[in-house]
Amino acid sequence: MSAASFLCELDAGRGFPDARPGQFVHVRTPAGVTLRRPFSVAGVTGRGRFELLIRERGCGTRSLAALEAGAPISVVGPLGNAFTLPEPQRIAVLVGGGIGVAGLRLLAGRIAGDGGRALLLVGATTGSELLHHVLPGETEDGRIRLRVSTDDGSQGLRGTVCSLLERELDGLPVSGVRIYCCGPRAMLSSGARVAIAHEFPCEVLMEEVMACGVGACRGCVVRTRHGYRAACSDGPVFDASEVVFEEESVA
Amino acid sequence: MPDLTTRIAGLSMRTPVMLASGTAGYGTELRGLVDFGCVGAIVTKTVTPAPRAGNSPPRLAETPCGLLNAIGLENVGLAAFLEEKLPAAAALGPPVIVSIAAEDPGAFARLAAAVGSRAEAAALEVNVSCPNVARARRPAWDDPVAAGAIVRAVKASTTKPVLVKLSPNTADPEGMAEAAEEAGADALVVANTLPGMRIDVEGRRPALGNVTGGLSGRAILPVNLALVWKTAGVVSVPIVGSGGIGTADEALEYLMAGASAVQVGTALFADPEAPASISRGITERMKSDGVESVAEYVGMAREGTWRETIRAA
Repeated sequence: MSAASFLCELDAGRGFPDARPGQFVHVRTPAGVTLRRPFSVAGVTGRGRFELLIRERGCGTRSLAALEAGAPISVVGPLGNAFTLPEPQRIAVLVGGGIGVAGLRLLAGRIAGDGGRALLLVGATTGSELLHHVLPGETEDGRIRLRVSTDDGSQGLRGTVCSLLERELDGLPVSGVRIYCCGPRAMLSSGARVAIAHEFPCEVLMEEVMACGVGACRGCVVRTRHGYRAACSDGPVFDASEVVFEEESVA
Repeated sequence: MPDLTTRIAGLSMRTPVMLASGTAGYGTELRGLVDFGCVGAIVTKTVTPAPRAGNSPPRLAETPCGLLNAIGLENVGLAAFLEEKLPAAAALGPPVIVSIAAEDPGAFARLAAAVGSRAEAAALEVNVSCPNVARARRPAWDDPVAAGAIVRAVKASTTKPVLVKLSPNTADPEGMAEAAEEAGADALVVANTLPGMRIDVEGRRPALGNVTGGLSGRAILPVNLALVWKTAGVVSVPIVGSGGIGTADEALEYLMAGASAVQVGTALFADPEAPASISRGITERMKSDGVESVAEYVGMAREGTWRETIRAA
């Protein structure tokens, strides 16, 4: 695991529904902050049991990291929509930047478990921040392949994960690819641009500051071609061609 | 058994704990999260005559002990609200209070007539205090004449009880409260959010797309509590306290300051069980205090012997 990231398992009881890839849970952190924190479900390990991949970023995530094993915690979920699963004949290309790998891990596991084909592209600023090792490993038959990139070139391709995506797409069949992106906003924007230029279907998992988590407060909206949509209840997964990434003029 | 039944403006509520406008959507979004049996009333997201897209994101910024929002009154508009949202909200159980906002007294009147004609609407809450949509230099929330005209127009258009949600953003809260009462308000909601902003230092820009927003949450409790104290001293209509309430004792602070009921909003985000735990906590306090009706707490701190004690000292 990279310096400030950790994988944890939660047991929400057998009545807690299994999350689908892309869905999230809303966690009340011990920090006592105003808002819950949304985390992608990064793995399902049993009935009501699931994993989160968390990077320590502020007081909320730090307080979670400091929890002892077995400590009780309040979780709402699973919430939001889910990725469109790849058709069996397609190659799924999963593009994860930084902690964005968390949003793709359940999907990657599902594809690997179902015997599907996936190309996993993982990027980070530097080698020690790469999270590719939490994803399913490469298979000898080439069904699951993995490539990494780092901004400083310390591991894998030097550059962004989207430049890696562009390079890898050139070798893939035009009609048989479905792309999934999760990571910082700038990465999603360029991932969407690359996918659209290649005319591949592409979904992006949007991360926004959230309050209610269920579509009530309209706080976490994403600008789309059809107007504002709530990341929590209309998303967090959006079709890449629907999202308007360009900046709006500030009031 | 302690009695939590609360009556304000002809409205009978099972508990004094209402859901604040904006935080509870149209009610149905919170199904399964909030125990509606402990909710005195649901105040809907503000409805406007036409649908509103709302402000540019980002619309939220967390602050120490609080939350800034600049939603910009995103809502489905009157027609869709009456068609889909209102019947679904009414089916949840608690009385539904419909928050309304419009451009001018005439538009407020038409909106109030349309909403007020529906049996599912138990009352109306006039939102003259949203800090995120104003363009005027002196908005209605700080203008007793303008606010009075809106309240009069609404009162003339409906027989339903009318609550008026005031803003903390005024130099003369008592004057605003008196103006609303004189114009016919059946109850006052004190108060809306405080204006505020944050800057995203890395991005060198305001954290909110709207630049400024309304501050809610624990941070504003002392501010709005003082406003309840002040306004309760000058009006005789009931006051609904709002601002930073998350626990039973915080709700009781508002009641003892002179509020007849409270609204819980931002606390719902971290703790959807807050209405239930607040109701439970008030019940516990009533048992240990030997209080039979929650109404006995209303204004209790205004009458205590502390006044003499302080004068003597």
